[in-house]
Amino acid sequence: MIEFQDVTFVHQNGVKALDGVSLKIDSGETVAIVGENGAGKTTLVKHVTGLLKPASGKVMVDGLDTSSTTTAKLSRKVGVAFQNPDHQLFSESVEEEMSFALRNFGFPAELVEQRVAWGLNLFGLTEYRKSSPLVLSGGEKKRLTLACILAWDPEVVILDEPTVGQDSIQKEKLAGTIRMLTSSGKTVVVVSHDIEFLWPIQPRVVVMKAGRVLGDGPAGKLMLDKGLLDAARVARPHLVEFYESLSNRPETPFVDPLEARRWVEGEGSP
Amino acid sequence: MYHRLDPRVKLLISILMFATTLLVRTLYELAAVLAFMVMVAAVATVLHRVGRTMAFTALFSGFIFVVNFVFTRNLETSILYAARFVAIVVSTSLFFITTSPDELEQVMKTFRFPRDVIFAFVTAVRFIPVMFLDTIQIMDAQKSRGLELEQGNLLKRVRNMIPILIPLVVNSVVRSGELAEAMESRAYGSVPRPTSLVEYRASAKDTAVAFAAVLLFALTAYSFYFVFPAKIL
Repeated sequence: MIEFQDVTFVHQNGVKALDGVSLKIDSGETVAIVGENGAGKTTLVKHVTGLLKPASGKVMVDGLDTSSTTTAKLSRKVGVAFQNPDHQLFSESVEEEMSFALRNFGFPAELVEQRVAWGLNLFGLTEYRKSSPLVLSGGEKKRLTLACILAWDPEVVILDEPTVGQDSIQKEKLAGTIRMLTSSGKTVVVVSHDIEFLWPIQPRVVVMKAGRVLGDGPAGKLMLDKGLLDAARVARPHLVEFYESLSNRPETPFVDPLEARRWVEGEGSP
Repeated sequence: MYHRLDPRVKLLISILMFATTLLVRTLYELAAVLAFMVMVAAVATVLHRVGRTMAFTALFSGFIFVVNFVFTRNLETSILYAARFVAIVVSTSLFFITTSPDELEQVMKTFRFPRDVIFAFVTAVRFIPVMFLDTIQIMDAQKSRGLELEQGNLLKRVRNMIPILIPLVVNSVVRSGELAEAMESRAYGSVPRPTSLVEYRASAKDTAVAFAAVLLFALTAYSFYFVFPAKIL
């Protein structure tokens, strides 16, 4: 579905943001891209929609080379929810905001109406339908941007730092939405610092540092790798840290952190 | 070397270069003035940035040329006015490129501008790169929602700017409100006449450069009007 082939990208100021990145994301996968600030996470995902073009290498999305495909065409397949919702909200009402992309993509009026109603309902925004998007709270704006993207039903959903400014309940809802998207066959890419948010989702994790991929594998394996996460300056989940403390005691009832997670979530017993 | 000059001297040089571009009456004179500006940019090691500024003004300059040529049918006058615009922009940008917002603040304090005016002006200058970054991010966000900025006729392209401009203006207003609160919470305005950590005192080198700049301007103006008299366009 998405393939980075030895991609390098250099910013105008000469900083190499991506350095020989090769990565393949299959259809229906849920992938988390983690790394410290400046690791190249956002730069990486901007290549998927063709907002940035690689200096060398190739990015393929569903068989299309992003270097020779317009962002408008790629966006029909790939929806990106950027970090700051204030960078996209401009319409007079929430429903107009939601229908903006649908009209750009040429959806018929009836379908626009249906998709808007569906999206508002899914994210609990129906009551704000006629309100200005600018007066919504931070969390509501974030949900609205996600609703705007899901409205046109893209095959790939990219969430750039989706938990910034969200309270714990909204984070849980967001995790639920990601699970729903995964179960409906969408490819989901989450760029996040929030390891505690990612840990229960158990995605495939791509660890980045200084524009390079340091590690790539299942969360259950990579998030236990202290050496790797320390090198990438990424904190391990609290539960993993807690498990390690417990495991030093001979009477620990847990076999591994994944079992501990299941036990905490009430799915098993020690 | 140029960067280390007293900012007041750099301001004086820019004002004199600006004034010289207004005195110019022929293309030869303007070419000489532009060559001098390029030389100053080279000494200040900002040739590349000044070059970018000149390239950026090319569009407006072209517009000035076309309008003048349509109404005057005089090629030399049209080129002169278009090139003069470039020279004016370069003369002012030389000051802003080589002067930090902090130095600008000190210069304005020297001229006894009201403190709030200085703060507002310097903040506006500081926020230019931030707004530029905002604009890129907003454009990225809207392009990701299928907005095609380069599509359609002129009217459609202007309308396409609405989804860019509204978030930009709203963000700027919100940011200025947040900045005002942050400044007040850090006791801005509690001292009517705050003292300054940095007080500029012109060195002998600064005085010499300022004197040389004024002398050069006087000689240039004299030569334009008395040594090489040309017909006024």
